[in-house]
Amino acid sequence: MNSAHENDRLLACRGLTRWHGSGCPACLEETGPERNTNVCPRCGTVVALAQASLDLRRGEVVGIIGESGSGKSTLVKMLYFDEEPSAGKAIFHGPEGVCELFELNAAQARKLRNRYLGIVYQNPHLGLNYRHSAGGNIAERLLLAGVSHYAEIRERARVLLRRTEVPEDRMDELPGRFSIGMQQRVQIAKALAPGPPLLLLDEVTTGLDVSVQARILDLILELQHELNIAMLVVTHDLGVVRLLAGRTLVLRLGRIVEAGLTDQILEDPQHPYTQQLISSAL
Amino acid sequence: MVDAARPAMPAPVLEASGLCKRFSLHARGIGLNVLHGVHLAVHAGQVTVLTGPSGAGKSSILKAIYRTYLPTAGSLNYRTGAGEMVDLAKADDHTILHLRRWEIGYVAQFLHCLPRQPALDVVARPLVERGMNREQARAGARKILAHLRIPEALTNLPPATFSGGEKQRVNLARGFLTRPRLLLLDEPTASLDQESQERVIELILQAKAEGAAILAIFHDRSLIDRLADARVEVVPDVRVEPLGGDEGACRCDRP
Repeated sequence: MNSAHENDRLLACRGLTRWHGSGCPACLEETGPERNTNVCPRCGTVVALAQASLDLRRGEVVGIIGESGSGKSTLVKMLYFDEEPSAGKAIFHGPEGVCELFELNAAQARKLRNRYLGIVYQNPHLGLNYRHSAGGNIAERLLLAGVSHYAEIRERARVLLRRTEVPEDRMDELPGRFSIGMQQRVQIAKALAPGPPLLLLDEVTTGLDVSVQARILDLILELQHELNIAMLVVTHDLGVVRLLAGRTLVLRLGRIVEAGLTDQILEDPQHPYTQQLISSAL
Repeated sequence: MVDAARPAMPAPVLEASGLCKRFSLHARGIGLNVLHGVHLAVHAGQVTVLTGPSGAGKSSILKAIYRTYLPTAGSLNYRTGAGEMVDLAKADDHTILHLRRWEIGYVAQFLHCLPRQPALDVVARPLVERGMNREQARAGARKILAHLRIPEALTNLPPATFSGGEKQRVNLARGFLTRPRLLLLDEPTASLDQESQERVIELILQAKAEGAAILAIFHDRSLIDRLADARVEVVPDVRVEPLGGDEGACRCDRP
């Protein structure tokens, strides 16, 4: 059965670990949900994420839930090269072959990120350049991905903005003048510009009005169906994983405490922490 | 749990043996044992009906087969379209997702779907996920919704505002449209009027004629008599016990 999916592999993370501090041999043993802390009592090191493994198939949407400080953002930031892992590896099956992300040199990593990865942050200020127009932000991303023809860049930016419901006549405006929901849509357009096989979404609807949230989620869902793009969706909102993700990982104090089909996680959670999380949802 | 009478016939599409389900409610410190060693077989071209009073665990059996509930013990041997054997109780999540997309359908009692999506797209979505072009999938959805007497004007609206019976028919349309090899039906006609119920029965008989293996729960005794090729009686036996140190083990197995 598994062999049928061989060609569907996109990403395999093994033992991803990230700590802040000097680290000591006891760090991993002395932290985690069982110890109820992510700070090593011996050396004070913060273990943001430990021994995280996950497999992602092409076109698959995986949710990552957990409270603040559980390590979920750390996970996606490492995959986007925003943070370096302290240990572990991530095998990426990209269009140009298979590679281990953290063995790449800086130039290779940049190239891979620019072409094959997209990220949408909770705060559009992290993903957008506010000194460039909406169209300019997308052009910048396309240039980095190796598209150099001016007319093509302009046309692709136009199509992407139309697709993300940003009025075309505002293409040359600075994103700072847009509503927060529209800024978020520009960020999504920018992330999608190079047509990456993997999109990382870090709390993209957190802090938005409910109606704006709904529009962003609908948009992500439509784009996912249309482009068959794989997504890692980090959120603390169970409704978001219910809506988007086929599988879900539950993180607590830097550890994956449970992984399963999203409907199973929501209806038959196994881990005490997941049970508490599900039962306290409104 | 009583086995259904099994005449000599080809190997079943699904065979459950010793299926147990326990919910470990950690906050309350209790284990809720709801299924105790269920045995059943579902054959191609047959309707197998789970009978028994409400609360007996009939829906839990369907959910355990579909993996919405994680089985605690036992096996769920499923024979795929390609003839491979997969134990649904132990298969990895990707395998289950693959089978859900291509082979195993489940129509729950209540419609769960994406909000704000028109009924037509709710029904067409599983076909689109199989890679069918959207318009073709919608055409199929339109046809089955019409068969189930959903007014054309409604099909472009999200089902959120529909009546209970209409939602249920949208749910059924989505479940039947993909023609799954194994179809799990949880009270598919519970809130339908007579005419709509007949339309659903037509779909069931058609799926059966096409060779689908159907495992169903029906509210209505006369429907069971009409449709059941085999019956499995589920005896209510919920046991509550304190959570011990061996949550992994199933202590409810009986000979």
